[in-house]
Formats: sequence, structure tokens, C-alpha cells
Amino acid sequence: MNMHKNLLMQALLATALAATSMQGLALDFKGVLKDAVEKEIGQKPEAAPNESSQTPAAADSASAANSSEPEFNWKNPSQAEEISLGRQIAGNLLGAAPLVKDAALKKYVNSVGRWVASQSERPDLPWRFGVIESEDINAFAAPGGYIMVTKGLYRKLSNEAQLAGILGHEIGHVVKKHQLKVLQKQQLLNIGAGFLSDKYAKDNKLVSKAIGTGAEISARSLDKSAEYEADRLGLSYATRAGYEPYGLTEVLQTIGQTNKNDGSVALLFKTHPHPDERLVALGDAIGNKLDNVKNGKTLENRFYQLKN
Amino acid sequence: MTSKFRALLFIALLFCGQAVIAAETGTALKNDTLRKEPYADAKAGGILTRGESVDILKKQGAWLQIKTKKTTGWVRLLSVKRGASASGSQTAGVLAAASGRAGTGQVVSTTGIRGLSEEELKAAKFNESEVKTLEGYTLSADEGRQFANAGKLIPITFANLKAAKGDAK
Repeated sequence: MNMHKNLLMQALLATALAATSMQGLALDFKGVLKDAVEKEIGQKPEAAPNESSQTPAAADSASAANSSEPEFNWKNPSQAEEISLGRQIAGNLLGAAPLVKDAALKKYVNSVGRWVASQSERPDLPWRFGVIESEDINAFAAPGGYIMVTKGLYRKLSNEAQLAGILGHEIGHVVKKHQLKVLQKQQLLNIGAGFLSDKYAKDNKLVSKAIGTGAEISARSLDKSAEYEADRLGLSYATRAGYEPYGLTEVLQTIGQTNKNDGSVALLFKTHPHPDERLVALGDAIGNKLDNVKNGKTLENRFYQLKN
Repeated sequence: MTSKFRALLFIALLFCGQAVIAAETGTALKNDTLRKEPYADAKAGGILTRGESVDILKKQGAWLQIKTKKTTGWVRLLSVKRGASASGSQTAGVLAAASGRAGTGQVVSTTGIRGLSEEELKAAKFNESEVKTLEGYTLSADEGRQFANAGKLIPITFANLKAAKGDAK
């Protein structure tokens, strides 16, 4: 990563210099910026290093010293920064729909979630899980390990293996930093595009500017490939945890039967590939890999039933 | 259309929908080979074509015994979408229209039920006390392990699934 540290600014300056003698500045500028940002946050690991020989620009050193909000390192956020960002997003989502007031339910989802998360590549995050008051069918993950499932989705579940699969999918998003990377990309673009104006650049380093108003960020889509990846990881984590591997696919089967005109799945269907496509992709990825996995548990007996 | 007639129609459609579900139908999600036994190396006994309606006879482990128009055989669980066949979804669509929940393609949020529409999410205000409550339930890895032990969950070795070839989009 260190090797690439100044790539973005190098690319910025190189483009700015080149673009002065060109028409259609904005278009080219954006394109190169986008490429540079993608390289910077590791979305294009296969891309060849940029061989620019320009000196790094000074825009990076601009600080938001006069702001009450601490500056956020968008290029390479620390785990603490990642968690603080996730906390802000989770808090906004909870502002739209609070937790279901049921202490036993809270403890139960955290128990299942914590055990599944322990099978992931980031077992040391402070994972937290909640069921929120909404009849929508959906689940959300925020950076740093904040995961929320709606009551409407919870209602569709009939055993613990299914819950493990759903939580596993969201854990997969956090492990792969899917949302974080989207925010990083957007903010680095904003900072880059605004580097001629110091004020604008400073503002864009702040968390509040990044996540927009309310819980808008939770309504955004990720790439389809990110959803398929989270499906594969979620199933893998739940399987490693000792659950019956097909919990997630059973839930996808159930959701797939919901009429797409039903308001409760409007946002889910808008932001995710159709459950049928997800089932096909998972089936192809599974192939014969589960043929020797036996004795996974469903644990419907201890599955926590909602009180209302 | 009188409201009485509409109600009758609704009930009739409701029964149609249930009949479809009760028969345990399904739809092929992909082209696949039907096996004579629920094993990958069992003899082939026919083919399944994507989109084809099937009857689901039995589930055994990760396999479904299904009946197509031509034959009966076993396929992997994820080769079939369970519950609603193509005709089943159409019924569901008509049902939704009859119950006033489907409009002109635009999704109308159901009144009286709290939703998480984009508008509602945008209007949300940070709720500090709820985040604190959420964080108050954070468990340690050890506590997770104890919970797993209580349910006799035994962790196994299993490599993360990778995207199937040609499916890395």
C-alpha cells in the first residue's frame, strides 16, 4: 500500500497539467480521478502502477484544523475510524427504526451473530447485532461491525441456521469493507474534484459530509458482485460455525416468493440482485463442495420467537 | 365492478394461489441433469431445462426429487426455485392487484406500517441512546463460543466459497 501512497495526488496533478491544454477537461479529469481512486483503495489490484514522475501535490496537507469534527483519513482509515463511521450510520438507521424492545431477542441475535462473526476473517471487531422495528424485509451492515435485521425479515425465519446465514451475509459485507470502499471512493473523488478550493476539500474529509443526510447511505446499492460475494461468505461462515449450510438459501427461496410489488421488499429488490439470481450464483459456487458437509444444525428448538 | 364481486374474485384468487402452493411446485433455475439417486455420481436419467415447471416430491439432504413433464429424478437443491412456479407468480401478481397493493408499476408504501423507504431513511435523525443500547449487548468471542457449545454447534473446516468460473461479474 505504501508504494501507492501518493499515486492519487500524482495522478491528480498529472491530469490537471495535461488537461489545461485540452478541451472537455471535466470529463477526462473525472475519468482519471476515478481510476486513481480505485487503485488507491484497492479495487483494481491487478492494475499496473502509475508511472507518473510528477511531484506529489500539496492538496493532501490541507487540514480541517478549525472544525469541531475530527478529520477522517479517507485514504487509509484506521479500524477506530471505520467503527466511528459505522456508528454514525447505525445511529442514523436506528433513528429511522429503533431496536425491538425485547432484551432476550437482543441477547439472542448477538449470540448467534458473534459466533458466526468469529468464523470470519475479522473476529476481533466489536460485532453488534440488532433487530429493528420495521415490517420491511431487509438487513443492513455498517462499517466496523454494526448489523441490523428488520423485524419483517426476522419473521420470515424459522430456525437459527437461517438467521446465521443472513447475519453471515452482512458480516461478509463488513469483512470485505464493501460499504467503506464505496464511501472512500466517493470521498476521494470529492476531495480530488474540490482540491482547487481548500474549503471544499476540507469539508469533504469529514464523516458527516460523506454519509449524507439521515440514513440515506443505507438505501444505496452495492455492486452486484459485492452482494454475490457476501452471499458466498455468509454461507461459508455459517457452515464453519456448525450450522446447516443451506440456511441462507432457504431465506432467499422465501424472499423470492414475495411479490415484487409488495412494498415490504421494494428497497431490498431495488438494492440487491433478484433472489433467483442469487440462488443460481450460490448454487454454481457451491457445486459439489458441500457434498461432504454433514451434521450441520438448524436449531429450530432454540430459535427465538418474536413476541409480537 | 361491484365491491361484492371484487371481494368474491379476491377470495377465488386466494384459493387458486393456495392450491398452487399446496402442490409444492417449483421452477427450474438452471439447466441440470436429473439423477436416478440423490448423489452427484448417480446415473443420469433426464434433463431439467431452465424455467421449466416441476413438482417437488421429496427433499433429502441437499437434493430434491422432482417430477418434470417427462420423468422423475433428483437434482441439487439450488437448481429449483421452490414454491412458486411461473403461473404461481402470475397469480400472486393478480392477487396483489385485487388487494390494491400493486399500482402502475410504482411501488406505493403500505399505509399504517412503518417502512424503511428511501424517504424515511433520508429523514432519519441520529439516535444516540439506541446506539448505546445496541452497543451494550456486544458479546465477546468467548461468550459466542459458550452459546455455540450450549447448542452443540461444532465448528468445522470449510474454505470460503469462490465465485464459479465465468460468474465473477
